Amino acid sequence: MILQLNHLHRKPAASTTQEVVDTLYALLEEGRLEREQFARLRVHLDWIQYRQNFRECVMAIGSTSDPRSECSSLEVHIDMRQVTPGALRDAILRAMPSSDVPAPAQDAVFLEEFRSFRESIAWGFNRLYWHRLAEWEEFTGRGYEQALPGGKSDANHPAAVADCVADFWTLLRDLESRKQLPEEIFVLEIGVGMGRRAGLWMDRFRALDAERGTKYYPRLRFLLGDYSLATLERSRPVMENHLELCSFVVLDALNPLKNLAFLRHKVLHIHLTNVYDNLPDEEFARREGQLYAVQVRAYIPPPDAARISGEFQIPAADIPRTVHRLLEGGPDYLADRKRGLAFWQEVWQAMRLEERLVSLDDLPDVALPTGLHQEQLEEALEGAPSDVRFHMSSGALESFQNTVPLLHPRGFLQVQDIFVTNFNEYRLGFHGPGKLDGSIVNWVNGVLLREVGERAGYDVHFAPFHYRPGSRTSVLYTTQRE
Amino acid sequence: MELPILPTTVVGSYSMPGWLERLKTEYYARRISRRDLDEIHDTAVKAAIKDQEMAGLDIISDGELRRDNMIDYFAERLPGVQIDHATKKFHYDLYDSKVQGKLPIGPLGLVDDFKFLRANTERETKFCITGPHTLSKRIRNEHYPSEQEFAMDLARVMNPELKAIAKAGAHFIQVDEPYFSGFPEDFEWGVKALNLLVDGVEAKVAVHICYGNRYGKPSWEGSYEYLMPGILDAHVQQITLEFARRGGEDLEIFRELPPRFELGIGVIDVKTQAVETPDLVAERIRKALEVIPAERLFVLPDCGLLHLSRDVAFAKLAAMVGGTHLVRKELKH
Repeated sequence: MILQLNHLHRKPAASTTQEVVDTLYALLEEGRLEREQFARLRVHLDWIQYRQNFRECVMAIGSTSDPRSECSSLEVHIDMRQVTPGALRDAILRAMPSSDVPAPAQDAVFLEEFRSFRESIAWGFNRLYWHRLAEWEEFTGRGYEQALPGGKSDANHPAAVADCVADFWTLLRDLESRKQLPEEIFVLEIGVGMGRRAGLWMDRFRALDAERGTKYYPRLRFLLGDYSLATLERSRPVMENHLELCSFVVLDALNPLKNLAFLRHKVLHIHLTNVYDNLPDEEFARREGQLYAVQVRAYIPPPDAARISGEFQIPAADIPRTVHRLLEGGPDYLADRKRGLAFWQEVWQAMRLEERLVSLDDLPDVALPTGLHQEQLEEALEGAPSDVRFHMSSGALESFQNTVPLLHPRGFLQVQDIFVTNFNEYRLGFHGPGKLDGSIVNWVNGVLLREVGERAGYDVHFAPFHYRPGSRTSVLYTTQRE
Repeated sequence: MELPILPTTVVGSYSMPGWLERLKTEYYARRISRRDLDEIHDTAVKAAIKDQEMAGLDIISDGELRRDNMIDYFAERLPGVQIDHATKKFHYDLYDSKVQGKLPIGPLGLVDDFKFLRANTERETKFCITGPHTLSKRIRNEHYPSEQEFAMDLARVMNPELKAIAKAGAHFIQVDEPYFSGFPEDFEWGVKALNLLVDGVEAKVAVHICYGNRYGKPSWEGSYEYLMPGILDAHVQQITLEFARRGGEDLEIFRELPPRFELGIGVIDVKTQAVETPDLVAERIRKALEVIPAERLFVLPDCGLLHLSRDVAFAKLAAMVGGTHLVRKELKH
């Protein structure tokens, strides 16, 4: 058995580690675990960063169709934060039935078949959240920014915004000196939140422009893009003093080019904050030199399913159908909205993801994200730990690939988000996905973004967000690859 | 070889297949031999020629598939240019290359490339090289007192190769100078270097000037206004420009282009995978015909097709030929 510990900056894990080891030995000696099974165990402790997530406190991950399954490892992940004292033994037994392909209890309510996380119903909830944000907030009584770690967004840090504006002004000045400054100066913000950053940015730009007498401000064309019309509407009041220079555009962050093709090669600055971490993603794992896709299956654990069934008077077998209708029609579907919102919240909080590893040899149709070439992935993995589970960040890569063509040749993209910038960081713990109130939060694989950027003609750099001590945010910025 | 009215051709490069990129990378990683790579290149070039013929082009290039990019292929061949071979990860990236002494004259090995092209098609051909201004911007100059002098010397040492290519049967040579658009302040001496490069070369010479196509995106934006009147001093017979992506507004600048110049107009946007229709191509040609007579008009993509997938590149060329046929029919009536 291999035991992997992750240090999460909290109380020493020694006692809990000892409890895990003792429990597993006891199960072995009682014959509840086969010796062969025990030998193949890889136990990861405290592997999940986000307390609110999609995993059971003890979770076993099997692999399917693996011709070498007799000698392959059986992964068990334990989140000690969630383990009720004294309940570890039962939780391990529940997670590890005799089969090599563990599964949640038979009476769990499954919401889908196994699939890539990117295609999971979890993203349907995420979408619903952003489209019906106001209703969710009203129901829960708190705004989405309050749900962020720290209670506020780094997007709105005045010093960060001021620096961004100053850099942009310098670019405009340089272009003007070369007589290359376009008459209309396009700026795009994708994922506008409450519009606070856009408002701060415009206020600061106007002030700087006036201070330096350059008269760029009236030439600005500031586009606020979001896939939620409701969100765009909420940002409008913040832009009140700049409305004549602003356009509010519904767009999909996965493909901004689709709606903004007329601005190809024209936008001088594009900014995104906390968008990539909320785009559909999938995960891969390398085990003993083999690449596996991580497939998931959403389910509601039996106790939660029974509770939801009773509370909403829906037979457990009908919960999946009700969930699908909720995601299609929103909370109004359930007789009255309040009841619908309550159902939505209950299901979301209870929902878990079962996982399995599927060898890529068994998935001939798996395609790498747009812009990422096989040899780039291989090269990135060359320097990675031999056993590593990582984000493919397919949504982020797709978004990047479909955003940079909007950039003017001298323009730049800036993304504030949570990035893994080195595969070795995956050794230090897992980086999502987690539940952030009603949405999904996930770290973004910056290594792969860098690879895709290079082929698209951009060097991609990451800098720590130094404006708030302790911030986990980094700033991605592009420079032209010459 | 007699060409039809509105001859169709490429700017130079054809789609670089993913498998060829991969094999080039394998070569740089020393996993395949030079001999194998040469054979692979020969095969790829033949396929590119065949595709252009099948698309119906009147003038064919070798697709430039032997080239990593428009700089390094020449930098590696120019005697006296020093290259740090460790500086490049992907074949399309640029080497760190520099000049620390006066460039000697020596063969560049381009004649063989032309002969291979000539031997593999019955159609008219075009051979393309990168011009001295553009090379002087990407090869670090640590010897000459100025970029201008460096570019002039590049022209001097490349001129015999161009003469040799013409002597080998090339009727049509194109010099690529996209960096003119990035550095319009150099244009005056850039034209002098161009003239020195093509001095005594017995072939039709075109100069191609676009707004860049590195990694399939433009490097600059602006207007072709800077070309006038300086371009009239260029000892070339044809100017080929990028119009499809940028729109045809700048066409007006060339209304008074003297009859000694032909104009090659870009009617295919090479920076998008979206394939134009023949109707759209025809519309773009008609717009150009408002400022320049058909007898002096050539039809091309905006730039090389290097960054497009093969199916898209082929479809775009086919649409270009289709659109040109539509206009030819109209001109007959």
